[in-house]
This record gives sequence, C-alpha cells and structure tokens, in this order.
Amino acid sequence: MSEKKSLTKKDLVKSYLIWTFFSHCMYNYERMQAPGVVHAIAPSLAKLYGEHTEEMKDACKRHMEFFNTEPNIGGCIIGMTLALEEQKANGENIDPEMISSVKTGLMGPLAGVGDTIWQGTLSPIALGIILGMAQEGNLFAPVLYLIIIGVVLYGLGYWSFMKGYYGGREGITKIISGGLINAVTEKATVVGATVLGGLAASYVTVSSGMVLHLSSGDLNVQTSVLDSIFKGMLPLGITLLTVGLLKKKMNVNVILCILIAIGIVGTLIGFF
Amino acid sequence: MHISILQAILIGLVYYLGANGTPWFTVNLGWAFRRPLLQGVAVGIILGDPVKGCIVGAAINATYLAQITAGGAQTMDEGLAGCVGTALAIISGTSAQVAVSLAVPISLLGNLVWMIYMTGDIAIVHAMDKVVNTGDVKKIVLWNIIPSQIFKMILYVTPVAIAVFSGADVITGMLDSLKGTPVIDCLTTIGTILPALGIAMNFKAILSNTGNRAYLYFLLGFVLYTYMNLPLLVIGLLAVIMAFLQKSEAIAE
Repeated sequence: MSEKKSLTKKDLVKSYLIWTFFSHCMYNYERMQAPGVVHAIAPSLAKLYGEHTEEMKDACKRHMEFFNTEPNIGGCIIGMTLALEEQKANGENIDPEMISSVKTGLMGPLAGVGDTIWQGTLSPIALGIILGMAQEGNLFAPVLYLIIIGVVLYGLGYWSFMKGYYGGREGITKIISGGLINAVTEKATVVGATVLGGLAASYVTVSSGMVLHLSSGDLNVQTSVLDSIFKGMLPLGITLLTVGLLKKKMNVNVILCILIAIGIVGTLIGFF
Repeated sequence: MHISILQAILIGLVYYLGANGTPWFTVNLGWAFRRPLLQGVAVGIILGDPVKGCIVGAAINATYLAQITAGGAQTMDEGLAGCVGTALAIISGTSAQVAVSLAVPISLLGNLVWMIYMTGDIAIVHAMDKVVNTGDVKKIVLWNIIPSQIFKMILYVTPVAIAVFSGADVITGMLDSLKGTPVIDCLTTIGTILPALGIAMNFKAILSNTGNRAYLYFLLGFVLYTYMNLPLLVIGLLAVIMAFLQKSEAIAE
C-alpha cells in the first residue's frame, strides 16, 4: 500500500483562487462553467494522480461535463469534489458516477440560494444606498460599492469552498437538510422585498405634471389629486403593473416596450 | 467634445473588463465592475471627467438596480449601457436623464454580443476536450484562458470603440436637432419609469421564493420611504430586524 496522498491547505487556497478568477473564463452555452472547473482542480488532480496518468486523464474528462452554479456559495461543490477525488486517489471505493451526481445535484439549489443572497438582496441594497451619493457626484460611492461586494463575496466564497472540502458530502447535505439554507433564503427575501419597496419609491420617480385650468382655479393633478389619495401612486402602480406582466411570463423586451410606450403617450397627452 | 482613437479603445477595454467571463478582476469584482456606476466612473476617468461619469453612471444604474443574471441568461447588458451611455453623455454634453433613455436600447444590443460570445466559446470547448484528454495541467490552464479571452477582447472592444468614436457626432447632432421638440421630454419621462423594470424583475424572483406575502413587505418598504422619508439603509435595517423577529415567532409556534 502506497503512502496516503493528501492535499494541503495551500493546494486548496490555490484551487479556490483559480476558481474565483477563472470560473467563467470560458463560459459557453454547451457546458457553461465546465472548463473553469477542470482548470480549478487540475493542479490538485495532478498532485493526487500524477500528471499524464490514465487516472488523471479520466478525472479531467469527467469534469468537462456540464456544470453551472453561482460561483461563491456554489464554491463548496468544488471543495467537495476535491475531497472526493482525494478519497478516490487513496483507493477508496468511490464511483465516478457518484462524484458527477453530487455535482449536478447541488449546483442548481446552491445557484438559487447564491443568486438570491447576492444579486437579489445584497447588491440592490448596497446600490440603493450608495446611488444617492453617486448621483451627487461623490466618488467615494463606487469605491464603497466595491468594498461591500468584495468583502462579503470573498468571505462567503472562501468559507463555502473550505466548508465543502472539510465538511464533505455529509457536511453539506446536513446544512441543506438542516434548514439553514431555507432560513437564510427566507430572511434574505424578507429584507430583499422590503428594500425593493423602498427602492421603487426612491428611484421610480415618475409624476404627473398636468395642471387643469378649472373655473375655480388651477388644479395640479400631482399635488392636489394623486398625492392626497396616496403618495407615490404612479411609481407604485407602474412597478406593480410590471410585476404583473412578468408574472404573466411576458417577454422582458415586450414589457420594456410597453413601459417606453407609456412614457411617450403619457408625455404627449401632457399627463407626465 | 472630441474623442481620440486611443480613448475610444480604452472605453472598449472598460466594457471588456466588466464583461461576464473576463477573469482579470475575479468573478466578484468583475461583476461589480459591470455595474453602470463603475463603468461610468471608469469612462469618466478616460474622458477626463470622473465626476460627471459618476453622476451619469449612477443615473443609468438606477434602471439596472436590481438586475439578476441567473443561469447564464442575460436580459439586458447593463455594462454596455453604462459604458456607451456615459461616454455618449459626456461627449455630447447631454443630461443624465436623457443618457438613461439612450442607454436602454444600447443594452439590448449587448445581448447580441453576449450570444455570439456564449456560442463562439462552444468551438473552443470542443478543442479543449482534446487537450483535457492529455491530462496536461499547463495546457488546460492555457486553453481555459487564452483563446476565449482573445476572442472576447476583440468581440467586446471593437463595437464599443467604433460606436463611441463615430457615434458621438451622430448623437450630438441628433440631440441638437431635437431641442425644443417633445422627444427630449419623452426621453426624460421614460428615464423616470424604467427603474421599475429591474426592481420588478428582482421582486418577481423573490415572489417565487416566498409567495404573495412578499407584496406586504414591498408595500411596507414603499410606505416607509414615501411617508416617513427614511433612508434606505434604515429601511434595510428595519427589514433585518423584522426578518429575525419573524424567526422567533416560528420557534414559539
């Protein structure tokens, strides 16, 4: 029996860094992030199986299959893959099919969680807060955005990657079935929905400029009529209309045209 | 304002560096750099007016405030909108609101670039399959990076450089001739409506997670801003508190 082959922390960090830099480097419709996966784990595989060996070739080949996830939260899949390959290289009975099914089974759910937390909640909140600063020409705003995104995502990505390797398949399955993911997603959506409401109120600024000349005097439609019913009626109405159209599975480009048409017609008849 | 060929190419590079799939700033900061705010600042620096770049970029960014690109599907190319929109606004000296309306059709054209890229890479993947079968680490690394990045750089830099170099005069002339017509008013109004689209798209993604309860939170956030004028940071904080209070309720049950 040969000596136990194992990956060091340095190998893992290297793999994480490659993944963070190059995961989408050759993004494509056929296999999505697969080349990125092979790139990220190839140096570690070479250490486990030896470069140019049959095992190495097989391993590379099986990771060239379709793979697509959110790269930070989904980073644990790469960590886990390395743990499984390490066990396999040490002669444990691990079926290559099993490695593939672990990857394909986790990539969807983790992408869903990752996208909700990052693109769905974190970034709109950060942007919502700093765009006001930025619109006044404050150059600290873009720097602040980079810092927020950087700190959170590198932290999350590194944590997830290492968790995947050290926790292994059992660890990750435990997190998923333990309801932690669901709890986090639920909280993120509560925060996301509330903040989106605030964002709609502050960034959808459409208002009526119409003034009716009545015998009793001028009537400003926005301030005397709409505001007295509900402030922000027009922005809220337009945003909810858009949500409704999206729920009807209408094409985004069609909705865009509808919104543009509303703007043009409204302006031409003098309503906006 | 006149723009040199070098500036046009640099602006093309700004778009390339923020594109999905460029490795140089890592997937995280590359993604952040794709926000029109960041694109606007970078373009502003190249054209010598970072503050205006920041203002215009922020205005364009409001439309794409809550953009989600999941599963490699891109609905609108906000990087292109931010980059070209800001460049045209600075060169032609137009307002941020008008730049917003100019930027939207540009972002739709960006989808074409994206599709060419995602399809073109398939050919490289097939070539890489052979490389992978040799099990050679160095070759794998090179094949993952070099061919697709060369392809991408040409694909992303060329149209942007040409558009900002030759398009600026066209846009300036067009805007001048439109002065006094309702077109500018229409463009300005559209700019106040379009942020609704990005917000609605993001909200719809949330709806599929939590169901219709999300409407209540949305309304709450809306009212907190319109009637109480709370800053967004405070609204976010209140939302976090609510989210945690809700959990303790669930445990009590």
